[in-house]
Amino acid sequence: MTQAASNAVSETDTTARGPLVLLLASALGWLVVSGLLAIIGTIQLQAPAFLSACSWLTYGHTQALQETVFVYGWAANAAFATAVWLLGKLGGASLRGLGLMKVGIAFWNLGLTIGLVAIILGDASAVPFLQMPAYVHPLLLVAYAAIATPGILAWTGRRQQATFATQWYAVAALFLFPWLYSVAQVMLLATPVRGVAQAAVEAWFAQNILTLWLVPTALAAAYYLVPKLTGRILSNYDFAPHGFWALLFFGAWTGTRHLLGGPLPAWVPTLGIVATLIVLFHYLIIALNLRAGLSLGKGDASLGFVAVGLIAYLLGGVLDAVFSFGTFAEKVQFTYFPVAQLKLALAGSYSFIVFGAIYYFAPRVTGIAWPSPGLIRAHFRLMLLGLVVTVVSLAAAGWSQGQGLLDPKMSFDAIAAATHPWLLAAIVGEGLTLLGTLVVLVHFIRLQVLAGCAGFCCSPVALEASAS
Amino acid sequence: MSAPASRDPRNSGSLSDEELLHAHEQAVADKTDDRGSYKLLPLALLFVFSGLIFFGGTYLNLFSGHFDSKIFDERILPHKVDTTVKLDPVVYGQKLYESLCITCHQPTGLGVPGTFPPLAGSEWVNGTEERTIRIVMNGLKGPVTVKGNTFGTVPMPPVGPGGQNWTDDKIAAVLTYVRQAFGNTSGPITEERVAEIHAKITAHTDQWTSDELLKLP
Amino acid sequence: MKNGPLLFLGLFAAFGLSWAGLALGTSLQLGSLAPYYDQLENRAFPERAPGIASRGKLVYQDLGCAACHTQEVRRAGFGSDTERKWGDRQSYARDYIHQDRLQLGLSRVGPDLTNVGGRLKTAGDVFKLLYHGTATMPAYSFLFDERPLHAEPSPKAVAVVDGHEIVPSARAEVLAAYLLNLKTPADYPVEKAVNTVVAKKEEAHK
Repeated sequence: MTQAASNAVSETDTTARGPLVLLLASALGWLVVSGLLAIIGTIQLQAPAFLSACSWLTYGHTQALQETVFVYGWAANAAFATAVWLLGKLGGASLRGLGLMKVGIAFWNLGLTIGLVAIILGDASAVPFLQMPAYVHPLLLVAYAAIATPGILAWTGRRQQATFATQWYAVAALFLFPWLYSVAQVMLLATPVRGVAQAAVEAWFAQNILTLWLVPTALAAAYYLVPKLTGRILSNYDFAPHGFWALLFFGAWTGTRHLLGGPLPAWVPTLGIVATLIVLFHYLIIALNLRAGLSLGKGDASLGFVAVGLIAYLLGGVLDAVFSFGTFAEKVQFTYFPVAQLKLALAGSYSFIVFGAIYYFAPRVTGIAWPSPGLIRAHFRLMLLGLVVTVVSLAAAGWSQGQGLLDPKMSFDAIAAATHPWLLAAIVGEGLTLLGTLVVLVHFIRLQVLAGCAGFCCSPVALEASAS
Repeated sequence: MSAPASRDPRNSGSLSDEELLHAHEQAVADKTDDRGSYKLLPLALLFVFSGLIFFGGTYLNLFSGHFDSKIFDERILPHKVDTTVKLDPVVYGQKLYESLCITCHQPTGLGVPGTFPPLAGSEWVNGTEERTIRIVMNGLKGPVTVKGNTFGTVPMPPVGPGGQNWTDDKIAAVLTYVRQAFGNTSGPITEERVAEIHAKITAHTDQWTSDELLKLP
Repeated sequence: MKNGPLLFLGLFAAFGLSWAGLALGTSLQLGSLAPYYDQLENRAFPERAPGIASRGKLVYQDLGCAACHTQEVRRAGFGSDTERKWGDRQSYARDYIHQDRLQLGLSRVGPDLTNVGGRLKTAGDVFKLLYHGTATMPAYSFLFDERPLHAEPSPKAVAVVDGHEIVPSARAEVLAAYLLNLKTPADYPVEKAVNTVVAKKEEAHK
């Protein structure tokens, strides 16, 4: 990140400093916790005796906690910051409702903390991506309304009639998350649907946390950063609306592909498979539109993160389509392979693109440049290495586990023995990721400390907030 | 990629947010400018999309079991199957016998001498269908002679309406069982035959006596 | 896309359609499934779990057992579920109609538990497994209490450690009751008839 990139600081950027810094600080803090839990969880898979005397940290708990902290801690806080900032920027006016937003952030993170304690105490709901108990979620939903208000106000009060793809995706994420979240609370926790229909609703919800919320947020950032940082308008931009609607209309149906072979009528998984195939059209358009952002290793640090994120996104889309079909699904169902695919989507495409956005807007929001380009490079390398090692070793572990499961004579001890070396590698990968997260956390704290100093004693690093 | 106009932001180092919005809005609106270089792409994309939809539609038609709620194997399409449950009347009858009749007539079907008449080799069991059906349906009281011995101290309770309320199919099954078990070799009794007799005797609520039954043909 | 309300309508349609199809559609189609009444047995299947097993299910849920164990048998020919003797037949929607919190599971680090009640015979088997663990399963020793040993160890004791006996706690007891109750009933005639055609065809080809 350079001084030059952060000199375009406008009033729009700095007014939202308080809530956005709060969001980013919480997001990074939770990401550290999630990284720790991911390491503990993988060690427990590799050596089941690890912490087994600890009744509140069984593998089931570790896994539920890690998933919850990642999605509702890191991903959510970062998504709110990204979407609100992008909408504010393109809306062209200062963000409004920021006081309310701060209250919302406080309550969101308070609610999440209560939920995590509840999971530790054995009150988990046992629904994927909705692990916190039923009494916590309404609080989060109300807090969300407060957090999203500035974003919605920036969209409705935008100065320009013209809209850009970033705004569609960001608005989609902001509107669809509360719908999805409240419907899931009713159908899965408050008055749960009985029998296997519940599995279909769970699959629909878990997939759409990604497809209708986190992916649109990341794509909103990518659509903004790629033209901004390359200085070129996007290629074949006239197809962007098709890509957008293809994601929403077909992507929302893809979740049930995982239920193949199970106790649901055949049409439920088949519909998911067909949708996963058709949504490839969306990936094609993303590749066409954002191909300028796919080149690694040149230009801005943010662009590097976005490039890795986009590559992971496209790769993930193709893998999802291939491994949804029965021939391949049979080989990897119920193994670590789908875990690797999820990692690629969450820790790969989502986290990388959003980090690209954070590296871009954090200095603009704070008013000063990142103090150390070296730390950004270190974070990038650690995170990339961590991602590759984790995903590749989990995929390999899953493949070997799948082969073992298919052979009825192979015992579970033998299967586990075959996966252990790969799980060991995955632990190393998770460790590298955590190290990278610690680097960016330290860097972010330094940025805030410097910004605090700048506010008081006009340090030379500080830039004129009014410079434009 | 071409169009080197001086105001074209593609050539400038950075885009402001307004430029970003307008340049892209223009890119959607001004398709005519670049007709030559972009002509094939929309067609290609349309082709890809139609291909995906076509493949997806075919796949859905073949492997969704046509949205049938009972098809769990995606390779199966709806087809006519006989899903009515056919019970073997002998197996079913035995279950029924063991749930009720066994108390008096015993597992051997020999009854208890002096109290409960035997079913094995009984002329009543192996006699006319109408008499056996009537006995099971409404029960029997008073003295009765079976295989030369007289019984009748304990009346037989009705198993049909007014007693156990067994349906016609149950009575048919238990009779079929009894008529071929314990060494008996008489033919099965159908549910239709039971229903026929049932219709005849709906007015009769009391247990039968041996004499009443013997008057029947 | 300059039209804000239109964008909003589009979002609503995309979301609503997928919800109606997958969430509402499956609930409506499967919500009316009734137990199968077996005339011979004079009972309806699947049967409701006894109260103690339902309490055990809460322990199963609290510990997060579903993180490593599934509860669904896939059809013969898809995976090796039937060869591994996890069930005589695949699981059908009807097997789950009494469950208000499904525990299908997403991962098979350990074996499938759909019919574990048929494989583990007694509560003692379950306690041994829970207390000692295996190479692939952690020991759940916190589910057991330590009691001073006075005379003979209790019949439920899983181990005796220097003058103390290790006995299952109430949580372990109900968990064992739940696991031992996990059994799928015999095949349902309708599902069986509808879903066996392919197998017959394949045999005919051979």
